[in-house]
Amino acid sequence: MGAILNDIWGNSINAVKLLTTRLGKLELSTPLLVASGTFDLENFEFFDPACLGAFVSKTITREPKKGNPPPRLYETEAGLINSIGLQNPGLDKFIHEKLPVYRDKLSMPLIVSFSGSTISEFCQMLETLEASAGIAGYEVNVSCPNVENEGIAFGTDPDIVFELTRRLQEITDKELCIKLSPNVTDIATIAAAAEAGGASSLALINSLWGMAIDYRTGKSKIKKGIGGYTGCGVKPVALALTYKVAQAVRIPILAMGGIYNWQDALEFIWAGASAISLGTANFINPLAAPELIMGLGEYLLSTKKSINDLKGKVEI
Amino acid sequence: MNSPQYRQRAIQLREELSDEYFILWIWDEALGAAGKPGQFYEIRALSSLANLQTFHAIPKLFKPISIYDNQGGRIGFMIKKVGTGTNALSRLRAGDTLELIGPCGTGFPVFRGRRILLISGGIGYPPLWYLQKELINHNQIYWMHGGGGQADVFPCDEIWTEDGSIGRKGRVCDNLEETITKHEVDTVYSCGPQGLLRTVCEITNKLDIEHYCSLEAYMACGIGVCHGCAVPIGHPEDWTFKRVCKEGPVFNAKEIRWELF
Repeated sequence: MGAILNDIWGNSINAVKLLTTRLGKLELSTPLLVASGTFDLENFEFFDPACLGAFVSKTITREPKKGNPPPRLYETEAGLINSIGLQNPGLDKFIHEKLPVYRDKLSMPLIVSFSGSTISEFCQMLETLEASAGIAGYEVNVSCPNVENEGIAFGTDPDIVFELTRRLQEITDKELCIKLSPNVTDIATIAAAAEAGGASSLALINSLWGMAIDYRTGKSKIKKGIGGYTGCGVKPVALALTYKVAQAVRIPILAMGGIYNWQDALEFIWAGASAISLGTANFINPLAAPELIMGLGEYLLSTKKSINDLKGKVEI
Repeated sequence: MNSPQYRQRAIQLREELSDEYFILWIWDEALGAAGKPGQFYEIRALSSLANLQTFHAIPKLFKPISIYDNQGGRIGFMIKKVGTGTNALSRLRAGDTLELIGPCGTGFPVFRGRRILLISGGIGYPPLWYLQKELINHNQIYWMHGGGGQADVFPCDEIWTEDGSIGRKGRVCDNLEETITKHEVDTVYSCGPQGLLRTVCEITNKLDIEHYCSLEAYMACGIGVCHGCAVPIGHPEDWTFKRVCKEGPVFNAKEIRWELF
């Protein structure tokens, strides 16, 4: 694997150039990121980290969060339902235990995902994070479907999204990416509100609501009933929402939702994405990331097009 | 090799045990040297992702399967057909390719000079087989195994079946207290269905006996990243969700918060 990657990275300056992309304030060496909560340092045992343009960490909250009761997972015919409930060690532990390791180990920009239950909590968290070295940007999670009072409660109201973004961009000069939920009536309005508030990029989609029931017993497969649905089944939805948002805003889009391979990635780039994330695919194929970058690099080389040349050029 | 690795390995041998149980053997010296009793691999039939007619019915997630045997690079997985994932594995033959992530998790502590009771139910048998090989030269071991019927019975010291077709009739934990007393047991290891493990934990906790219990969970990543396999572990007043794939699958019985499952 390393040898093949070197062909793209080492010997072909063109592929390197063609794969670069811009996510708001960040210049990324590749358009490939990883979806928050689906990927961590353990995954780098499987492949060369150079294929990632940036690393997105698992969402943290101010206080530690226990998470949801099990069972938390169920694999459906076309994708995965999860109900983790933002289990995380909290902001302090993240800064003192996790962040130093990321600083030490990561060779690409770190984007920290965080969530809160009030605007002032989001702001306090960002102020604390700003005091720490080693962070290139933030993904503001206003869209987790698995917690009641955080995340999604924010992401569904354009006025709140606008106000939250406006307050946060006053605190940081770093990349500020707002992660949007698909579980809304009109995602374009929310996206426009985030842009107006000063977001420098948007990430979409977070997981859809999903449910699975044992047809024999009538029992829910997930303890909390409804969970977040991700994976190949959500791809058409994610693609449509990416296209819709790309029509509504000028800031870059980090697209995700059912992307498994380079062909999927290209579809999202055509629809308007500047960068893409692998989520559920990391569980399905441990080598999804390097395979995607190899495929995408070879495609771009063969067509002599860059990400920027293709972005948003879908023919309708 | 401290962290789980991803490998594709040919199946060297497939052994049939019964209609429901089979063993897949692979060969990898480095993985073999890294594995410990109680650890597991996330495994998958490579063909799961091929263009089969039943593609939609085949799960794409890896399945956690404990190490049944591990000696000099020869690694065995004893598998029971229970769902779509293990059914896909059951179609594999010698020469087919197995995908593996592992060795995963934290296994059983291995002691010397103990009076040990192993207690397993059904497909809880395999990790204890590997464990007893590591324990047998230095400890006194008594192994009780139970299952639904004779198809679920494997070599051990005391057999129980629920239908009474062989061995003693009932659940393997039915006279656990007596056995513990009779054999002056000071350490218990267990693996099996949740109901059985819960009962065994209640008994060993009551008798205040050291007990290491291997749990099963639905998993996605297998390497500690997704937190999908978490179970409540700790003291009644101060517990957290621990990952079966990372801190587990083996937990101290005193810390498993069954009331929260």
